[in-house]
Amino acid sequence: MSEIDRREFLKIVGVGAGAAAAAGCYRYSELPEKLIPYVIQDEEIIPGLPVIYASTCQECSAGCGVHVRTRESRPIKLEGNPQHPINRGSLCARGQAGIGRTYHPDRYVGPLQRGSDGAFAKTTWDDAQHTVAARIAAAQGKVAVLGAPTGPALSRLIDAWLAAVGGGSRVVYEPFAREALREATSAVFGVASEPIFDLEGCDLVIDFGADSVGGSGRSPVEHARQLMAARDVAKEEGRASRLVYVGPRLDETASVADEWLPAKPGSEGVLALAVARVAFETRSKGAPGSEASLQGVLAGFSPESAAERTGVSADAIRRLGRAVAAAKKAVALPPGVALTSRRAVATNAAVLVLDVVAGAVGTSLHIPPATETRVASFRDAVKLIDAMKSGDVKVLLVHGGANPVHTLPPDSGFTAALEKVGTVVSFASLPDETSERAHFVLPDHTPLESWGDAAPRPGVRSLVQPTIRPLFDTQALGDSLLGIARAMGDGVAGSLPAGSFRGVVESAWSGTSLRAALERGGEFGEGSYASPSLSASLARIEWREPQLEGEGEFVLLPVPSPLLGDGSGAHLPWLQETPDPITKITWQSWAEISERAAASLGVRPGDVLKVETPFGSLEVPVWPRGGIRDDVIAVAIGQGHTVGRYAAVQTPDGSSAPRGVNVISVLPSLTDEAGGRAWLAAKARVRAAGRFERLPFTQETDDKRGRMLGEAISLVALAEGGPSPWAPNQAAAVVDHGTPITGAAAAATPLGEVAPGEHAGEGDKHHEPEILRAYDAVADSLPTDPFRWGMTIDVDRCTGCSACVVACSIENNVPIVGETQVKRARIMSWLRIERYVGTGEPTLQPARPGPQNHEELGKTDVRNSPMLCQHCGAAPCEPVCPVLATYHSPSGLNGMIYNRCIGTRYCSNNCPYKVRRFNWYDYQIETWPQPQPLMLNPDVTVRAQGVMEKCTFCIQRIQAGRLLAKTEGNATPADGAVKTACQQTCPTGAIHFGNLKDEKSEVREAAAQGAGRAYHALHDLNTRPAITYLARVRREGEDHSA
Amino acid sequence: MKPSPLHALVAALGALGVFSLWTGLGASRVEAADDGPLVAHSVCEAHELEARKAADPSLQIEIPQEFASPWPSRAACLSHTAAEDASTPGPVQPIPFSHKHHAGLFQIDCQYCHTGTDRSRAAGVPSVQLCMGCHSQFPPTYDELAGIRTLKQHWEEKKTIEWEQIYRLPEYVKFQHRAHVQRGVACQTCHGPIEEMDKVYMTSDTVWWPWLLPAHKPEMGWCIDCHRRNGATQDCQACHY
Repeated sequence: MSEIDRREFLKIVGVGAGAAAAAGCYRYSELPEKLIPYVIQDEEIIPGLPVIYASTCQECSAGCGVHVRTRESRPIKLEGNPQHPINRGSLCARGQAGIGRTYHPDRYVGPLQRGSDGAFAKTTWDDAQHTVAARIAAAQGKVAVLGAPTGPALSRLIDAWLAAVGGGSRVVYEPFAREALREATSAVFGVASEPIFDLEGCDLVIDFGADSVGGSGRSPVEHARQLMAARDVAKEEGRASRLVYVGPRLDETASVADEWLPAKPGSEGVLALAVARVAFETRSKGAPGSEASLQGVLAGFSPESAAERTGVSADAIRRLGRAVAAAKKAVALPPGVALTSRRAVATNAAVLVLDVVAGAVGTSLHIPPATETRVASFRDAVKLIDAMKSGDVKVLLVHGGANPVHTLPPDSGFTAALEKVGTVVSFASLPDETSERAHFVLPDHTPLESWGDAAPRPGVRSLVQPTIRPLFDTQALGDSLLGIARAMGDGVAGSLPAGSFRGVVESAWSGTSLRAALERGGEFGEGSYASPSLSASLARIEWREPQLEGEGEFVLLPVPSPLLGDGSGAHLPWLQETPDPITKITWQSWAEISERAAASLGVRPGDVLKVETPFGSLEVPVWPRGGIRDDVIAVAIGQGHTVGRYAAVQTPDGSSAPRGVNVISVLPSLTDEAGGRAWLAAKARVRAAGRFERLPFTQETDDKRGRMLGEAISLVALAEGGPSPWAPNQAAAVVDHGTPITGAAAAATPLGEVAPGEHAGEGDKHHEPEILRAYDAVADSLPTDPFRWGMTIDVDRCTGCSACVVACSIENNVPIVGETQVKRARIMSWLRIERYVGTGEPTLQPARPGPQNHEELGKTDVRNSPMLCQHCGAAPCEPVCPVLATYHSPSGLNGMIYNRCIGTRYCSNNCPYKVRRFNWYDYQIETWPQPQPLMLNPDVTVRAQGVMEKCTFCIQRIQAGRLLAKTEGNATPADGAVKTACQQTCPTGAIHFGNLKDEKSEVREAAAQGAGRAYHALHDLNTRPAITYLARVRREGEDHSA
Repeated sequence: MKPSPLHALVAALGALGVFSLWTGLGASRVEAADDGPLVAHSVCEAHELEARKAADPSLQIEIPQEFASPWPSRAACLSHTAAEDASTPGPVQPIPFSHKHHAGLFQIDCQYCHTGTDRSRAAGVPSVQLCMGCHSQFPPTYDELAGIRTLKQHWEEKKTIEWEQIYRLPEYVKFQHRAHVQRGVACQTCHGPIEEMDKVYMTSDTVWWPWLLPAHKPEMGWCIDCHRRNGATQDCQACHY
């Protein structure tokens, strides 16, 4: 067509007609396209409609159930399985991002064999299996299998396979294995298994540094849900519920805690025993007969002595002890990875003793019977390394994404030992540091392409089923093992199952109706648990704090990254680009030290520190915080990869450099009392390196400057009832500009807050107080329209976990822009979680202040406030658009029509919430390598360069819901039938979405229930937002003793 | 402008042209035998000769036993030829499938093949299996039609058919077939008299807005005009997201 449309015209004007023609200006509608039907159409599949399959998330060991949403046989989104007892429909950020593994551009596309020139060469499955089989046969039992924990069916197959091929050793390797807890359970209760903690209905939860709701917790989705349900302020018992956090750093769980006790790292066990002693003396709740043994254990731990050893005041210990005694249902959670020291078994045992005293055993702490499935053990890994060094391993098989080269400390000698192994076979599906050193790569399917199962706890069996035909020439691990065995001859293969690994899984489920289990996602029943009594071995535990290696002045705290886990998440760009929930840093490593320590070192945010331990040194930019102990330096585990398109930095010359630092490289290979891995083991010497590196952070300051964002209210004020302190006074709503709001609203000032309308302080006459006008969001849609879509967001339930951020990005095809663009403030996420600490300084600082941190040691006034398009009734973005690309829809939505947009960016400039994002490049069209575009959501337009975009309240889901309702003969979708992606995945149910015109809708109910703490973001601008926020409830300052 | 009378005329003239072309070719072939009767070399030719004999009873024709079959019917033969003709509007498809024959003559419901149109955004193109559902039951004489042979070859090789797309909307338009089908909008409203087309092409249609602006099919103005006349939504987000 010769006509020039608007965008083509602008292109020609901008770059000249010749260039435009050379660039191949085209209209989408002119592209030659084919309609390609199925040859045989599956009766389940109707093109254009999603088909959903149940499976199991494999990103961590929690074992959450997922629903894989597929379109035309292509998974496009993972959502939690609502029927699954562990996650009940939610997923964390890592689970959401896990879909990207299947479409990862780095994937191995077929089997590889290292040639004589040292480079990988393509081979065939048949050749590779026969060669490996010959090597295994020649190794005569000197074979070892190293891999991450697997499901029971695969685990049994590996054991049977090893026996069949002539024996060998098997090491289940998981960097974050909770061996110390298992040992402690064995010492305290005589059962060697990992307890399951149930926070349902607990009125007192004491978390000893586990960061339970953080991404690296034991079962973060489950625990976050249970914890927030127990703390529901709408209920009497919820208001009485308390969360106490013990740990050196203000992490995700500490941020939502009511009380934070920053004990000396390593002294958590002493604190637990002292609290247990107070509780025990106040009211013995121990099991009958255990009193004497408990008394013996607790005798040495008076609050005063413990105060000296832990740095927590004796008063606080007494208060906490009395609270434990008074609690109806209390539970103490043992430490996580960061605090797993060389005395970790004693620390874990001490916390379990506190659980015994608190009466948690059997109610909120369940001990599964010791399992026959193999469990991860660091001791075995060390033994394997010794065997490798001495030449006792001829063939090493590495599977399940295990990456020991990256996750084992250098002084374990794994990398050197690997070179002594004649044949290293990797089953990795993505290249990593270990697979790049292998001789053979026999790539495994990704979890979305595989059969498998999981048994996360007694009574819960979960299935993994393939939802896409394998994209590349890969083969399931089970099938590769069976293939190798068959290549070794009938003598070997005869003792193994015939057929494929799928058959192995099916026969493992033979006693059940497989079809029903596949539909449901597994078998979910009640588990049977042991009812143990205290073991005699309790008396043999030595209760003392750990020794740390090194002379430095800082304790080096290696924290598991809530998003990247042990580093396996570093390959997924969504996890790299999602800001860290605490520091809001993306794509990089940083070191956290206290502001006081930073001042004494003379460093400012971004200045590079040299961190030295006796085991190595690294250089990493600093991020000073108030919320960390002065004697601690914390560095997140997970970065520092040298392999991977996203995990490492790709330099222009084609080589790759490490992205961030791998803190494991300066950690020793030390163990706890029972041979488990010790993470908290080194001290570090820290000095300024004299350089500066700009960190890619997305939130500069945690100071809300007194604006109506991330509000909080004290429990006392809330319990008094009455209207929200931020609600506009109805009577004052019609007064002239400049008159402050008076009366009840101003009087009911919440704890430490500046009253609305008094932002500048009472005496300051230069700032005229703004007027809050009452409004009815329902009125902001056409009276004839049945909808006014709106949201209620409970800030009190938000843990900052960022699952919603990743879910939003994947649902809405939000592009990944990379580190450089993030530094230029061009991050594209439609939804961000703002993190504010305290009320902040109400006065405006004219100069650009630089990163600021207002955390204080022992204070937990953190407000995680999800910020997205507010779909304002009087949206400032709408009137400034010259082409009506953004407009107010009849249903009250703030519409954004991409094909109208000409990219003036006026709307973004005028948006007070700063939620609009501009496409500076054709991110997805130009920078998304194949096969990543296959996971784009076909229901959402991929935005082109020069177009503005923002949250649409998942309009594609709204339209699908409306059409489905019509198909079913209803005028409007039922309440809850349309769920936004963020709401769907939120583990704590902090986000409610629905039709505000429906008086019985969940979204209105939530707002009505929280009326006493409801506010609208930046209400004083009178933008009439459709989102009602419910303020965080601060329970601190309450007396814990009953 | 309502196109139907003019288009019908054009289509009729076109069909006539095609027909005469075909008969001309056919005639030249059968008349190659000197003085003897006209001999048919296929079922389609047999139909043609019979038709000519009906018009001119003096004509001597000979139909060998193997071509004395009612199948494929004369209509099928004509539609097949018409759908192959590159000189008529619309792209030549890999199989000369005739909508006129299937939807017009046999009155097969659109949704028999385009399944899911009432449930999904996409109309859906029938699978090869669905075509074979009927065609595998047809007598082997049908194989003289090249399209049928191509179809069977695709089925045997389990290879999909790459149809040329005619109605293509940009990615930022989320046209919902189901919403329109459920409201009872006839397929012909947008796709034209599809049951009269041997080879599908996009019928042109232009509406004139009050301020003398033309809106051609399938541009947005044309959609909006219909939505406006029928009281349907005019919210941008109904289609653009």
